[in-house]
Amino acid sequence: MKRVLIVDDAVTVRLYHRQILEQAGFCVEEAINGLEALEKAVAAPFDLYLVDVNMPRMDGYTFLRELRACEEARQAPAVMISTESQEKDRMAAYAAGANYYLSKPILPETLVRLASLLTGGRPS
Amino acid sequence: MPEPCISDVDFTMFRELFYRKTGIWFEDGKRYFVDRRLSERILASGKGSFRQYYQKLRWSDNGAEWQALINALTVNETYFFREVHQFECLVNSMLEEIAQHKTPGGVIRIWSIPSSSGEEPYSLAIYLLEKWRKLSEFDVEILASDIDTEALERARAGVYSARSVQYLPKEYLLKYFTPLPGDQYQLNEEIRGTVAFSRINLVDPQDTGMFQNIDVVFCRNLLIYFDDISRRRAAETLYDALAPGGFICLGHSESMSRISSLFTLRRFPEAIVYQKPIRRAP
Amino acid sequence: MALRKATTIPLQSGAADESSALESLVRQLSGPDVEERRHAARNLANRPDAAAVLVSRLAQETEPDVREAIATSLSAIGGREAVEGLIPYLSSDDAALRNTAIEILQHLPADVASHVDGLLANPDPDLRIFAVNIIEALSHPRLETWLSDILRNDPHVNVVGAALNLLSEIATAAVLPAVEQARQRFAGEPYIDFACRAVEKRARES
Repeated sequence: MKRVLIVDDAVTVRLYHRQILEQAGFCVEEAINGLEALEKAVAAPFDLYLVDVNMPRMDGYTFLRELRACEEARQAPAVMISTESQEKDRMAAYAAGANYYLSKPILPETLVRLASLLTGGRPS
Repeated sequence: MPEPCISDVDFTMFRELFYRKTGIWFEDGKRYFVDRRLSERILASGKGSFRQYYQKLRWSDNGAEWQALINALTVNETYFFREVHQFECLVNSMLEEIAQHKTPGGVIRIWSIPSSSGEEPYSLAIYLLEKWRKLSEFDVEILASDIDTEALERARAGVYSARSVQYLPKEYLLKYFTPLPGDQYQLNEEIRGTVAFSRINLVDPQDTGMFQNIDVVFCRNLLIYFDDISRRRAAETLYDALAPGGFICLGHSESMSRISSLFTLRRFPEAIVYQKPIRRAP
Repeated sequence: MALRKATTIPLQSGAADESSALESLVRQLSGPDVEERRHAARNLANRPDAAAVLVSRLAQETEPDVREAIATSLSAIGGREAVEGLIPYLSSDDAALRNTAIEILQHLPADVASHVDGLLANPDPDLRIFAVNIIEALSHPRLETWLSDILRNDPHVNVVGAALNLLSEIATAAVLPAVEQARQRFAGEPYIDFACRAVEKRARES
C-alpha cells in the first residue's frame, strides 16, 4: 500500500484528507507541523507528501527544502497546499521542491486523481 | 458524582491536546488506560464533565492540573536500568563516536538530569564499569542534577528498595550493593563516590550556563512537564551545555525535533538520540 | 583512567550574565557570528526593554537557529510593543517570518486580545485566517462569538473553514444555527460540509 503523509496544523483538514485518501486505498499518517513531518519522513520515508504552507514551528516551504536535502526523500513526490490568495507563492513552492500545487479547499476527486498519478497508478 | 463518560470524540480531542502539550501520543489500544486515569483526574479536579475539564486544561490551568494529569498518564517510576537500551546505545554507539574525537586520557562527561533519587546516574556508572571496554582509556565524569534537594539527599545516601533494583542482573546486585534490613539495598561507597550531584533548575535563568563541554546528556521525561516556551529554553540550555558532537537522550516517547531544530536526529541500532552538530555549517 | 568524580562543576565561560549591558547584547544580536547572535537573542529573554529590537531583528535574521531564539525570547517577554511590532509581519511575503510571527502571537493571548477585532475585519482573507489561528489560545466565551460571526458573515471559504476547524474542538449547541448558515452559504463545498458535520458532532456530544 502506498503511504501518504499529511502535513497540516488544522485537525479537520487532516481528517478530511485522510478520509478521502483512505477510501481510495492509501495508508495515511499525519504530522501537525514541518518539524514533526521531517522526523517522520526521515524515520520511514513516504510515497507522497501533502504539505500545508502555514504551520507553526516549521512552515511548508522550509519542510520541503529540508526534505529534498535528505537522501531518503529526494525523489518523493510532494504536493503543496495553500489558500487561494497565496497564488504568488506557487513559484516559491516549486522552487522549494513541490511537484504540484493545490489551492484549498480541495475536491475529493482532485486529490485522489493527483495522489494516484504521483504515486504511479493505483495505491495498492 | 457518577463517573464521567468519555466519548470517542472526547478521546480524540484529548489525545490531540495531550500530544500538543507533551509530545506523547496515545494509540487507540491505550483507550482503556487513558479513560480510567482521565476519569480519575476529572473527578479529582471537581469538574463535572469531560468538557469542563478539557476547557480547564486548554484555557485556564496554571500548570498544577497539567502536572497531575501528566503524572497520572505517564509511567514515571524510576528504577535501575530503566530503558537500558539507551545505555546500550551509549556504550555501543555514542561513546564510540565520542572516543574518536577525544585525545587518549581525555575527559568524557555524562550528565543525568533530572537524577531524581539517583537510579539513573548510578545505573550509568554500573553499566559503564561492566560494559564499556574502553573505560580504561578515558576519565569519565558522571554529573547528576535535580531541582529537588530531598531527592538529591536520598541519591547521595544510595539506599534502594527491592523494587528499584529488580531489573539489575543478580551479579551486579551482589557486586555493587549491600543488603539492608527491610528488603533494601545500599549502593557501595565506591560507586556512590563516582557521581557528582548538584541542584539545578533547568528553567531558572540563574542556573543556565552552569555546565559546558558535556558529551552526553540524559534528560528523560522532564521536558514533557514544561510549557512550550520553558521547554524550548531548556532545550537551548542543554544544547549550549553540550560539547560539539555531544548527544542527548530523551524519554522514549519524547521528541527533540518537536521542541527545537538545533539538534540533529541520529538513529542508532539501539535508540534514537539527538546530537549537537560538530561544526556549524557556514 | 576510569570513572572519576568531577571535582569542579564545569561552568560555561561567557554564560548568561545578568549584568551584561543591554547595549552590548543588542550589538551582538546583529554581529557577524551566528553563535554570538543566538546567545544574545537568548540572553535578551529577561529584558522586556529589548522587545522592539528583537522584533526588528526577527525580520532581518536569516539563520533559523537565531530566529528561533529570538522567537522564544519574544514569546517570553510579550507585551504591547512585541505584539504591535509583530502584527505587520503577518502580511510578509516571507513564509517563515509570517509563521514565526503567528507562533509568537499564539503564546501571547492576553496581549493580542485587543487586536483581534481589527484583524478579523481585515480585507485580506489570509490575515483573517491568521487571526483565527492566533485566537486559538484565547479564553473560551469570546471565541465562540468571534467564530460564529465568521460562520454567518465571512465571504471567504477558507476563513470559514478555519473557524470551523477551531470550533470542532470547542463547539457547544449555541453555535449550531451559525453552522447551518455556513453550510448553506457554501453549499456544494465538500470540505465545508465535512467540517460542519465535525462541529455538529462535537456540539451535540456536549
